Amino acid sequence: MKTYHDIATDGGSDVAGQVADQMARLSSRLARVGHVVAIMSGKGGVGKSTLTAALAEAFALMSHSVGIVDADINGPSVALMTGVRHHVPHPVPGGMSPATSASGVKVMSMDLFLQHDSSAVLWEAPSQRHAYTWRPMVEMGVLRELIADTAWGALDVLFIDLPPGSDRLPNLADLVEDRAAAVVVTGPTAVSHGVVARSITAAADVAGLPVVGLVENMSSYVCTACGHEEYYDRSGSGAAELAAAHDIPFLGRIPFDSRLALAADRGEPFLAHAGDAPVGRAIMALAARMKDYLQL
Amino acid sequence: MALQEACGPFEGTMSIVYRCQACDYRMAMLTNQMETQMVRSLGVKIGGRAREAAPMETLRTNLQGKRQEVAVPDRAKSASKCPFTGVVTEALEASQLQWTAGAQARMARVPAFVRPMVQRNVEDYAAQSGKMVVDESVMDAMKGQLGI
Repeated sequence: MKTYHDIATDGGSDVAGQVADQMARLSSRLARVGHVVAIMSGKGGVGKSTLTAALAEAFALMSHSVGIVDADINGPSVALMTGVRHHVPHPVPGGMSPATSASGVKVMSMDLFLQHDSSAVLWEAPSQRHAYTWRPMVEMGVLRELIADTAWGALDVLFIDLPPGSDRLPNLADLVEDRAAAVVVTGPTAVSHGVVARSITAAADVAGLPVVGLVENMSSYVCTACGHEEYYDRSGSGAAELAAAHDIPFLGRIPFDSRLALAADRGEPFLAHAGDAPVGRAIMALAARMKDYLQL
Repeated sequence: MALQEACGPFEGTMSIVYRCQACDYRMAMLTNQMETQMVRSLGVKIGGRAREAAPMETLRTNLQGKRQEVAVPDRAKSASKCPFTGVVTEALEASQLQWTAGAQARMARVPAFVRPMVQRNVEDYAAQSGKMVVDESVMDAMKGQLGI
């Protein structure tokens, strides 16, 4: 009796060849992208997406061509934050059309395909039961499509806004191979530092991505009336020590400013109007350090 | 072995029966719902791709609750959602008659744009004549009618 292992071919489907074609398409797309930068954190709620949108705006203000892929397949937010939720991607020569924000940042997100703001992300299947067996594979394929099938044109930097946690990171590393670097974001609390420590290890040791550095977001609160800045931890040593312990650069601290959060909620550019605020200066300084790292 | 029948898919599972035309031996295959869905999740086409995948084909084809304005790739509109059902349906729609090499060679000389119609007519004729194999004698019998 013949067994599975006796099957010499897959009956002409050439599944391996089709998967290779998918990866070749991705490589071809990335060939026109200067740098891929993943913004990640093990902790949710530390402001990854807000920071990604602001960093992309900063690079655009410095006359770089920039794109963002919202890799949070199930909880996309970048389209809203960049004011492009209205855009419906459509086929154009070379792929699907990305949205373009008021700052000139190109954006691709699941959110652009969903009917309602409250639509859950569900995939066609005979049954949603036992979806844990196949859903991660769909999400991996969709992330590949969002990167590979968007008609980005030539980009200096493609930011990838990763969802909380580090489980998607190895997938991304497999997709982009040696093309990506990671910026890790933490909050100011010891809890956040503890969770993010694991992400740094995952990025560097598991996924093998070079880590640009660590950013501490919302490390202080700036009063919009008088400009007084109040630190969560005045010593500010926690994040810097965390970076030093993992032998990665500490890229800086970003204060919380309600105007930045409001701009993100409204999908409006922030830096172009409030770049001289402490948070604006901190983001521009962060972008400048990243530029040095990327040698742009 | 020739594909004899397919049942389903029912809740993601389908059965396929092959039959030996010489001895009537039958063999059945049963697809597994979760394995089928995993194959579908890969974004590959069972049976092989004749054309390159459309951009974001998996996303646009399989996402539920998408915006009405999102264009679904043309070939996905009519194709089966199940990768195995699709290829089996295509096989069932295709000929179940055996063609001899000589008959195939003659059919290859028919202009491509009318070949499917000619093939269907030849096979209908063979079936009506109780033949299990299309050989050159069947083609000769049709020659006068179809000019092949």
